[in-house]
Amino acid sequence: MALLELQGVTKSFGGLMANYDISFSIEKGELVGLIGPNGAGKTTLFNCISGVFPLSSGKIFFDGEDITRLKAHEVARKGLARTFQVYVASGDMTVLENVMVGCFMHTRSRSKAKSTARQILDDLRIGDLSEALVHELPVASQKRVTMATAIATKPKLLMLDEVAAGLNPGEIEEIMGSIRHLHDDLGMTVILIEHVMELVMKISHRIVVLDYGRKIAEGPPEAVSRDPSVVKAYLGERYAQDSTVDGG
Amino acid sequence: MEVLNSAFDFKDFPRLDLTIAALVAVFLAFFPVLPHSSFAMATVIQFLMFSLYGMGWNTIGGYGGQVDLGKAQYVGIGAYTTAVMLTKWDISFWFSMPVGVCFSVLWSFILGYPLFRLKGHYFAIATIATSLVLKDLFEVWDFVGAARGIEISPIQFPSPDFIRLIFKEDVYYYYLILIFFFIGILYMNWFRKSRLGFQLRAIKDNEEVARSLGINVHWAKIRTYAIATAFVSVVGSFHACYIKNIEPEDTMSLDISILIALMAMLGGAGSLWGPIIGAGILIPLKSYLKEWLGARAGLIGIDLIIYALIIMAISAFEPRGIWGIVQKIRRRRR
Repeated sequence: MALLELQGVTKSFGGLMANYDISFSIEKGELVGLIGPNGAGKTTLFNCISGVFPLSSGKIFFDGEDITRLKAHEVARKGLARTFQVYVASGDMTVLENVMVGCFMHTRSRSKAKSTARQILDDLRIGDLSEALVHELPVASQKRVTMATAIATKPKLLMLDEVAAGLNPGEIEEIMGSIRHLHDDLGMTVILIEHVMELVMKISHRIVVLDYGRKIAEGPPEAVSRDPSVVKAYLGERYAQDSTVDGG
Repeated sequence: MEVLNSAFDFKDFPRLDLTIAALVAVFLAFFPVLPHSSFAMATVIQFLMFSLYGMGWNTIGGYGGQVDLGKAQYVGIGAYTTAVMLTKWDISFWFSMPVGVCFSVLWSFILGYPLFRLKGHYFAIATIATSLVLKDLFEVWDFVGAARGIEISPIQFPSPDFIRLIFKEDVYYYYLILIFFFIGILYMNWFRKSRLGFQLRAIKDNEEVARSLGINVHWAKIRTYAIATAFVSVVGSFHACYIKNIEPEDTMSLDISILIALMAMLGGAGSLWGPIIGAGILIPLKSYLKEWLGARAGLIGIDLIIYALIIMAISAFEPRGIWGIVQKIRRRRR
């Protein structure tokens, strides 16, 4: 049984179809990339899955349960955690306190939350930042903090929304290491939305491609990157023909 | 056990703060023994009461970031419950106070459920409106004395009456509210470190992120609003016995609501000491200004101008108030 299963997920805002009839499923232990050009509906799909938006039609199953109608906090409690593309933490909470909020999903005890949060921060190698205020940190560290906070809820499925956006190559390498660590060592199932193709191609087992709100391709990275419709979506008609010729 | 440990654990504050806090506590404990005017005594009692109002406001307004400008209605519910029960049926404060809390909390649930669907300014405006409506209702409700209000005549009870909380000497009221004050601080010290406290701060930061961490944002706000309400209602009950003459215009006016919020914001919304610092500045200012103005009728209303200036200063310079400034300086030094 798939851990996450989407059946014909459709979301429209007025007349605009942000997601149309999207179906795919994710098995336990997979690391799946969700890619697509700007405005393809990737973040909308994340919002639909995590209960931020109600679906226009379609169904979503998580761990065998229908979560289509659940609200965002209920979905989170089922074990589906996510990060946000733009994380604005304007307040006066420290990194440690932020991660503790995630821990408090499973415990009332402050000391327990604190020790778990410390562990997670150390695990992501940002333990030395625990007393810093989130909004004072550089983007790369902020992204790690949001990952840490999501992980603190002990999710069965972790959805990462553009964790590499705005980072330099060195930082991307580091965050890639972290994602691999979460998946390989901690056995987490991960979906990542990414613009940075290099990252997705390198670490995903499988890739789902969206364009104009529809799923246009799905498969292993090598196959997807050669798929003419994907190349077309990313680079335009002309390159699509060239690449089919090149690829034989 | 962990709850008590947490309530008494102030270790995360620097030693300087704790020293100042201890000095203030000692001063408050011995204040009645020191030579003082009855005016000063009344002012310090007001300071303690408003600190407690502010602590209550601080849960939802400070930690939760939901600017509530309708706390006066709960002062009214607490005060009226105690006054009505005492004057009509001779019921003890110690019974009427919890009953008042129940009424207040019930009312807060009824209001909170729809009100917390609103955000930001709209929420603030709605709290003002509900408070004013309740005040108007009390002004035409004959059972509670309508606009004349209720007077508790102290003569029929021999002082000191610890059951009904009727005393001739202010010193009894003083120590009672001082005990409430210390309990309030301990509660808030626990609250800010509790799960709900953390969840509220996350909500204040970003509601969408808070939801993604499994927090039922709407319910968390309603619960906290009820806690804030309980604080205010207890002091409202005390207010009835202490002032002995309550009327809607005094107990439930918009001034009170604004003063409560303003104090907490001036001292530092979302910090343990904020409301106390704010009350410590504004209450003496208010009562001495009032006395000074007594002889200068032409200047009445100047206190409102001063509040307005404070609001402008806070929003322009440091939304986290005096405590925010202190924290900023400390961070820079490090």
